[in-house]
Amino acid sequence: MDIVLAAAADAFTWQALLAIVIGTWAGIIIGGLPGLGSVVGLTIFLPFTFGMDVITSMALLIGVYCGSVYGGSITAILINTPGTPQAAATTFDGYPMTQQGRVGEALGWATFASFFGGVLSCVMLIIGAPQLAKFAVNFGSIEVFALVCLAMLCIVGVSQGSTLKGILCGMMGFLFSMVGSDPITGADRFTFGQYALSSGLTLIPVVVGAFALSEVFVRFASRDDEAARIPEARLTFPGLRDIGRRLIELIRGSFIGGLIGALPGTGAAAAAFISYASAQKLSPRRKNLGKGEPDGIIASESSNNAVTGSSFIPTLALGIPGDVVTAMMMGAMVIHGITPGVRLMADQAQTVYSLFVVLIIVNVAMLILSKPSVGLFRYLFKLPQGFVMGGIVMFSFIGAVSVRGNPLDLVVAAVTGLLAYVLRRGGYPLAPLVIGMVLGPELESSLRRGLLISRGDFSAFFTHSTIASVLFILIALFIAGTLWSGFTQWRKDRAASESPAA
Amino acid sequence: MNALRHSLVAVALVGITQSAAADNLDIVVPFAAGGATDIVARSFEPIFSEQLGVTSVIRNVAGASATVGTAEVADSEGNPNIIGYEPAGALSIQPSLKDLPYGPDSFTYVCRTVSNPMFLMVSKDSDIDSIDQLIEESQEYPFLYGSSGPGTLPHLAMAALTVKSDLQAQHVPYSGSGPAMNALAGNEIQIMADTETILENYDLKPLAVFAEERIEGYDDVPTFGELGMQDLDFAVWQGIVAPKGISQERADEFAEACRATVESDRFETFADKAKANIAYLGAEEFEAFVARRVEINKQVLKDAGLAE
Repeated sequence: MDIVLAAAADAFTWQALLAIVIGTWAGIIIGGLPGLGSVVGLTIFLPFTFGMDVITSMALLIGVYCGSVYGGSITAILINTPGTPQAAATTFDGYPMTQQGRVGEALGWATFASFFGGVLSCVMLIIGAPQLAKFAVNFGSIEVFALVCLAMLCIVGVSQGSTLKGILCGMMGFLFSMVGSDPITGADRFTFGQYALSSGLTLIPVVVGAFALSEVFVRFASRDDEAARIPEARLTFPGLRDIGRRLIELIRGSFIGGLIGALPGTGAAAAAFISYASAQKLSPRRKNLGKGEPDGIIASESSNNAVTGSSFIPTLALGIPGDVVTAMMMGAMVIHGITPGVRLMADQAQTVYSLFVVLIIVNVAMLILSKPSVGLFRYLFKLPQGFVMGGIVMFSFIGAVSVRGNPLDLVVAAVTGLLAYVLRRGGYPLAPLVIGMVLGPELESSLRRGLLISRGDFSAFFTHSTIASVLFILIALFIAGTLWSGFTQWRKDRAASESPAA
Repeated sequence: MNALRHSLVAVALVGITQSAAADNLDIVVPFAAGGATDIVARSFEPIFSEQLGVTSVIRNVAGASATVGTAEVADSEGNPNIIGYEPAGALSIQPSLKDLPYGPDSFTYVCRTVSNPMFLMVSKDSDIDSIDQLIEESQEYPFLYGSSGPGTLPHLAMAALTVKSDLQAQHVPYSGSGPAMNALAGNEIQIMADTETILENYDLKPLAVFAEERIEGYDDVPTFGELGMQDLDFAVWQGIVAPKGISQERADEFAEACRATVESDRFETFADKAKANIAYLGAEEFEAFVARRVEINKQVLKDAGLAE
């Protein structure tokens, strides 16, 4: 108990609290600006932490990280442009709600779901880190392959209108992700002999092009249309009764995010898509999803913020960073003389407990700072639309190039933007393209590693472990369920079209 | 409090210097911010620029196994205001593996900063205790060894071992040391070659070291030479290169600043924390060292069927 109190005392110093406030607020704003996401935010703040003590620097970085994951939802809801790839799934219901004039409600749910997911995942981290870490270790390449296959199925759910068009876009995203070095042999492929292309296409420039730039083009084309104006940003928190009604959704989303966050290499964007797909199967209001249903926002935002806490599980319990963001955190720890690894929890218990306290304070700070942040965006979006759009283009390009400093990414963003505009005009959904980009590399490398491990025998995948078998059964059920509901729909349609003729 | 004040001053200074100084020194780090190489570079940078008397900016140019950033340095021929903080792979492996716009002779070599020998390790739970036992058990059922990616040093060291011994093992690449460690913990792979940092951070057991002599602190870990396998000498090192065509005077300035940085107490304290093993080589020795490594690595790649 003493150690917990000492840890809390470390986290409640004024330096740490100030760092949390600055970090979280900056994170929300960076996350809200299209193109600038978690990694860019952390890169900006990392050098400042060199002169701080451990807890303060962790507080600043965790604030930026959690804030940026939440911040992405603000622009996703207001202008149909996710500020970060993690918030891409928030646009599905967030923007329709905005078009219906329910901005305050949408932002309120996004904020509350983010807070809820963040706190629940902290609890998971505190209570279950060792067990979850053990569970994550059992997730080998074959299990990851099964999980990614399951996640890929959500393309069907998010392709509003035409499944075929959705699958086509998904394949296109998958193909984009293959450009560059082969993950197993290291050989260059799809580079057309151009050295510049050998570094491959990465997620941020494609997301920036597909969502932010194409949105700017669409708005430019319809600039005289009153309906496309950016509404005034407001934030109305949901009432207790509403929260109670949707509590199951909040818990399910947070749980999915928490579990996926604990697995190395999947990340918040994938969690949001998987959670959204599960809401499409399980929410009592699933018929309204995609048309402005708060459950969709809850599914996306609770799960992507739940990743923030649980992504520390492999880092703290095993010293294995789950994604780029936790890898950067690990780097910051090393600078301060803490070496993450299997003995971190035992050797540095007080520091680890302080991190837990910091994570919880950050989520509370996020809830409090949401109002002023939304206020700031309201102020920004009151500027003439031309300035706003100009700003979005500028930040998009800064974000695209700042991830890895590669000029190729500017070209990629611009070309994807044009391509996405054409696709949108043709009624092709863009989310599958991003899903293909997010999941493609993991799908491919886990499949090929799995084949190396099973010595080329694919049938061994199904019986490799209980987890793998369960996941493959879920996939089969999902496909059967989708085909069956498609079939009954088709029969109903046919009956309806035949009866007036008869 | 002091720390916070420093940070605020740093914010202000960054703002001022960004706008004022036109001839900043660009230090290209060919990895994304926050990685293992980046952290050493960021600790190296403030001391180095102090020694050189300039303002410097670290620029992360990542991609294609660190060759994109390295190519940018090579491409800046004659520019005295750019250097690269380079990993071993981009200088001594990738040029033999891929068609790159640069080669080992595209640079003015400045210095080698750190070098960490690699160990061959298995999980601590494993019942294998020696290389002989490992080789023997692999005859019945081949092992799988992990790496942090195709064409990385962990891959190369193991590939060389399978060529030079009877070890039966196949390569499974991961997207970094972290995921590979996860796989080792889950027994998806059984062997991994990596540095002391990895060895200390995870539950691992070293069987042998890829070095000519035993390593301090690991006195009971034999070298491959002692086990009768010659020329298995692999280390993860980093160094500074500048583009070709800069003046001798500038090259000497860089070399002198690098030597002073590496010998400074501040850098030593950091290196100790990060378990980076300081291994300074001056300009000429570094150039000769890289040339030798390129030849050795090329031979390994050929023998293992990874390159023509």
